[in-house]
Amino acid sequence: MEGIANYLDSLIGGVDLTFYSIAIGGLLWGLFVLRPWDENANYNSALLQKTVNLIHFGSKALVITQLSKIGLKIWLMAVTLGKSPFPAFFHTVQFNAGLARATFAFALYLFIKQALKANLRSKTHWLVATAIVIPLVMAAAWLVHGASRLEDRGLLMTLTVSHQIAAAAWVGGIFQILALWGLKKQNAIAEELWPLLLKRFSTVGFVAVALLLVTGTPLAWYYIRTFQGFIGAGYGNLLMVKIMMMGLALGFAWINRQAVEEYFACRSLYALTVRVPYYIEAETLILLTILFTAASLASQPPSVDIPHLTATWEEVLNMFHPRVPRWESPTHEALIAGEAGRTAIVGQIPSEAATAWSDYNHNISGIFLTVMSFFAMLSYSERFHRWTRYWPIGFMGLGIFLFFRSDAESWPLGPIGFWDSTFNNGEILQHRIATFLVFMLGLYETRARVKADPGILPYLFPLMSAFGGMMLLAHSHVGFEAKTAFLIQVGHTLMGVFALILACGRWLELKLDAPGKNIAGFISVFALFQIGVILMFYREPLY
Amino acid sequence: MRFVIRILLALTLAASQGAFGHAVVTHNSLKLKPVPVNQASQVELSFNSKVELDLSEVFLVSAGDVMTSISASPGAKPGQVLLDLPALAPGEYAIKLKIFAADGHLSEDLLRFFVKEPK
Repeated sequence: MEGIANYLDSLIGGVDLTFYSIAIGGLLWGLFVLRPWDENANYNSALLQKTVNLIHFGSKALVITQLSKIGLKIWLMAVTLGKSPFPAFFHTVQFNAGLARATFAFALYLFIKQALKANLRSKTHWLVATAIVIPLVMAAAWLVHGASRLEDRGLLMTLTVSHQIAAAAWVGGIFQILALWGLKKQNAIAEELWPLLLKRFSTVGFVAVALLLVTGTPLAWYYIRTFQGFIGAGYGNLLMVKIMMMGLALGFAWINRQAVEEYFACRSLYALTVRVPYYIEAETLILLTILFTAASLASQPPSVDIPHLTATWEEVLNMFHPRVPRWESPTHEALIAGEAGRTAIVGQIPSEAATAWSDYNHNISGIFLTVMSFFAMLSYSERFHRWTRYWPIGFMGLGIFLFFRSDAESWPLGPIGFWDSTFNNGEILQHRIATFLVFMLGLYETRARVKADPGILPYLFPLMSAFGGMMLLAHSHVGFEAKTAFLIQVGHTLMGVFALILACGRWLELKLDAPGKNIAGFISVFALFQIGVILMFYREPLY
Repeated sequence: MRFVIRILLALTLAASQGAFGHAVVTHNSLKLKPVPVNQASQVELSFNSKVELDLSEVFLVSAGDVMTSISASPGAKPGQVLLDLPALAPGEYAIKLKIFAADGHLSEDLLRFFVKEPK
């Protein structure tokens, strides 16, 4: 069970940040955007209840997540160390700060339930709720990366917590905007509130982004220091991905801000109702991915600590160098014969067969995706649409190919049983989920494109692609060869970014009107093509 | 739309991240002070973060990947750990670490080394 414990322990960080943002960001939305106590505020009860319900949900989920984090940590230690972690675990900062954080989150939950919900327009109640959050945030400071550092601990903890609050203000605000849009669609709020609150939030969002930069830049400098650390180590690479995704999210934020300014100039609600909500939905996908990447970043050793294990920029570029895809696979017997030497700790012998096996898998997958993206492009033409619209069937073929090839040491090709391999190895578990996801993606998307009235079916493709992107961004080849693991990771993370672009593009293609719809669709298919190209040229380092 | 939100939530919950740990060895005495042949010795490790030794395990790995638990104690400086190695015959060995860092990350590390007869 070590694999599944490790897997769950690692994923819970992103979930925790999401609920933290919904709770803390929701309160900041109430304080700085909504300001329900203002005499001029023209809010009905439906809006205020919806706002507070979301914060209430966030606080409740935060309690559950924090307690689950402690439970998972205990489970992970028990299965990894093969012994009970008690009583030593009771004396750790993790246990004490985690319990304090859960307690204050529970206090917030109770206060909202007992007091704020009954006094939705009371400034005092909103301020008390915020006061409860202060010790919660302070407890959280002891759970971040900087808390375990040997030097400058206070500074790093303060910067990280401020960074988290800025992120929470943005993400929590976006969730509140989505809730607001839900009310707007039901005509449950006054019409002028939608543009007004969007305008107010853009100011809060601007401050949040400024705080993210002001706190993030010194943190990045402290943990990375060199260009090579930024380019050639997992920590720097994930930070680069965060910066790229933040650029995408800011792009959507900028478009939305333009639309709001246009509204206040000419009073046309068209862009604000036909485009902006969908840009915000895409922005939400990106922001959630950023939160999961941030949690992943916190589990990486900082580049500054591993200068002897960082790759050069030439080695990184070489991973993307165009070359002829590998057409021939080594035999399964050759692969298995080399496994004992490759995985040995003492007397390790690199396995050329294992590297060639992996290259073949990646390159053939790349050919699958590149050909599919070609047919996907053709499907936009009336002339070829009838038969090229079946292009997602390729995902089903790819899923079957990966099922047999991705973990050759386990069932059905290898000697290790299906359940044993799935639940005792985090990497195989991730591969199995990805394989299942790819197959289902093909099944649902083909039906979505062929059926006359597919209903909500088309939306599964972008959601599953976004999930696939999250998995790629978090993909880890757990092992002791840090430089090799990074060189494998660097390709996966770039594909993760393209998977997210694929997801957002398709989402917007389904939601927007022309010409935005066509542009988004093309960008989506182009991202699929890029993923295919990266995979086609993939070469795994020999280890 | 509610169904889509549920799917989104389920997918978000199922997303994963790397299990690569945070605590890493930044310096070790193996390079500067080779392990002597057939003589008990001590290895000094420096970590990049505070570690909880009561919740950590250290193994000596010898030929055939045979693992033997070895004792670890805190050094004089923060983040410093001292390992007690038994007397070792010439050959290739490794130290396998399962370390619980103070920030809650349980990470594994490996240090390979040789025990050689003096020339």
